[in-house]
Amino acid sequence: MFNPILEVARWLQDTPLRLSLSQSTWTVPIIGAIHVLAIAWFGGAVLVREARLRRFRWIGLSMLLFTGLLLFWSQPLRLYYSQFFRAKVLLLVLIGLAGCLPSRFARLGFLVSLVLWAGVILASRGIAYR
Amino acid sequence: MTLENSWLFPIIESIHVMGLAAFVGTIVLADLYTLRAIPDVGPLTRWTHGGLAVMLATGAAMFFSDAARYLHNPAFQVKLAILLVALAAHFTLRRRGTRLTAILSLILWSSVVLAARAIADFDV
Repeated sequence: MFNPILEVARWLQDTPLRLSLSQSTWTVPIIGAIHVLAIAWFGGAVLVREARLRRFRWIGLSMLLFTGLLLFWSQPLRLYYSQFFRAKVLLLVLIGLAGCLPSRFARLGFLVSLVLWAGVILASRGIAYR
Repeated sequence: MTLENSWLFPIIESIHVMGLAAFVGTIVLADLYTLRAIPDVGPLTRWTHGGLAVMLATGAAMFFSDAARYLHNPAFQVKLAILLVALAAHFTLRRRGTRLTAILSLILWSSVVLAARAIADFDV
């Protein structure tokens, strides 16, 4: 059966960028460090429910997605088969959906997304192990 | 008790990262407000101190799971040194609330995070 996500992971696996990322000693650790630094810089803006921080939050999310994409690119097939990575992606999609709730459910959506973010962090640590 | 090779260790690590988001995350908000880079978002010290307590507890648990291994890790040594300076600055200098102390705080805490992340890379 044709599996588009697996095909993308296979294609990324064979790109020159994947090869240079995984052959370099320091590139992936540095990108990983920036990824964690972004959590430290922008995590507070997720906890503090403040509409005026929206732009600041988007900057943080962009940094996390960009560094996260490069981290994925460094080992696409391993991550494709990692149960924790799959859980992480699912939780991120759910966070996106929680943000789309109508405004009268905004408080509920906020509390649910906090729990989901905690799940994202747990799943992310799990990826380092399997 | 050894925490290595058990499911407990990654869970404690995860709680440490959640504490990081609350602790450094709210310090960054306060510092950026001091620098007038973001709007005022009200009192944050509860999150900051709660996050600090969580980080110290989980950090100590991980450290004592294999103290000798951490003490021999150059990244851990650097982290601990900057952490002590950052904590001292946080409870003294930063109270002045000037632009300079805000910038110093941002640099110190970011350095602690970067050194901490490197612990895994210098693990032997």
